[in-house]
Amino acid sequence: MTETDLAAYRHWATTPLQTKPTYSVVIPAYNEEWRIIPTIGAIATHMCALGEPWEMIVADDGSTDSTVELVADLGLANLNLLVADANGGKGSAVRRGIFESSGEIVLFADADQSTPIEQFGDLLAKIDEGYDVVVGSRAAVGADVASKSLSRTIFSYGLKTLVQTLFRIPVSDTQCGFKMFTADAAMLLFSRQVIDEFSFDLEILFLAKKFGLRTTEVPVTWIDAPGSKVDAAKVAVEFVKDLIAIRRNDLAGVYATDNHHPDSAGVKAGGSIPSQTNRQAA
Amino acid sequence: MNIIPTVSEIELQGRFDAHEAESFREIVDGILANSASLSVVLTAVDFVDSTALAELVRAMKRCREAGGDLILVKPSDPVRVILELTRLDAAFTIT
Ligand SMILES: Nc1nc2c(ncn2[C@@H]2O[C@H](COP(=O)(O)OP(=O)(O)O)[C@@H](O)[C@H]2O)c(=O)[nH]1
Repeated sequence: MTETDLAAYRHWATTPLQTKPTYSVVIPAYNEEWRIIPTIGAIATHMCALGEPWEMIVADDGSTDSTVELVADLGLANLNLLVADANGGKGSAVRRGIFESSGEIVLFADADQSTPIEQFGDLLAKIDEGYDVVVGSRAAVGADVASKSLSRTIFSYGLKTLVQTLFRIPVSDTQCGFKMFTADAAMLLFSRQVIDEFSFDLEILFLAKKFGLRTTEVPVTWIDAPGSKVDAAKVAVEFVKDLIAIRRNDLAGVYATDNHHPDSAGVKAGGSIPSQTNRQAA
Repeated sequence: MNIIPTVSEIELQGRFDAHEAESFREIVDGILANSASLSVVLTAVDFVDSTALAELVRAMKRCREAGGDLILVKPSDPVRVILELTRLDAAFTIT
């Protein structure tokens, strides 16, 4: 059994796909030289064992350490490394990765493996049930959060309440770096999305609701990986500003469906709004 | 009479990451006080991060300085792949 899994990995590592991938896994990476290689190894092994064609996209975000050199040096045949000249924020990195993806189903996952890739199948099951957007949630019942610091817990509780009252988004954890989309949903959402920093997640969920995409959450294990570069207090302030910005953008028609993000030029499924019949949010 | 073990074995399970590094080091240091060699069974480990790898390297060096070795026993697929990608497979004795 394990022999064949390892063989599947070796094949993936050395032989470029001949078919369109079923799955794409996008990893945004900003100065991740210390964390990203083990993450790539864990994701690649798990995904290869699923037996479907899949691709990995590492979207560098203007890293100033050796992230790009290290990842390029792996020489993995189905790893597409996108290099950015400058740091543009996690939202911009994920967006570039999504636009480059060609899988039928797209997951983005943080470079620190804080949500173990083993949970891919739990999210996929929801896509199979007919959802367009499935987010890993550290707050949903059943989620298992290891060593989340107190300030982070309070921070995320505050955000959760704010988000639910302001936006009525059916998700209790908007920020978890483990989200899955159908390709159509991903192209639609990321071609409309304009926030480049951490609240891009919230904007995506806001847009999913606005466009009537079926969205749900799945409880995930989340291990607070050391080395997070996020300053919780600073992020909280930015987040609230972004909440207001999203509202303002919406009122100003920024998300009107004929506005496309310039990065999406040339993206095939540029994204159409689902027909009225299935615009019922789950 | 003192019985001094020369090769010891420990088995790790689950995720071996920075959160576990300290307790791993304590246990290993305790064992290596009496033994030059150590086998670490990694069959049930699903992930090792860079901090965990650094702990393994440190333990390996310590064993070799004492004339022994650190042996990684039957690593799981993900651990094997992570060792390969970090090129540490060449540094360790892996069974
Ligand atoms: N901090 C930070 N992370 C970025 C940026 N661009 C992409 N990322 C990636 O976004 C993910 C989440 O970052 P991290 O610092 O771990 O945040 P946390 O997991 O929420 O604590 C990682 O994969 C980062 O490499 C950026 O500009 N800043």
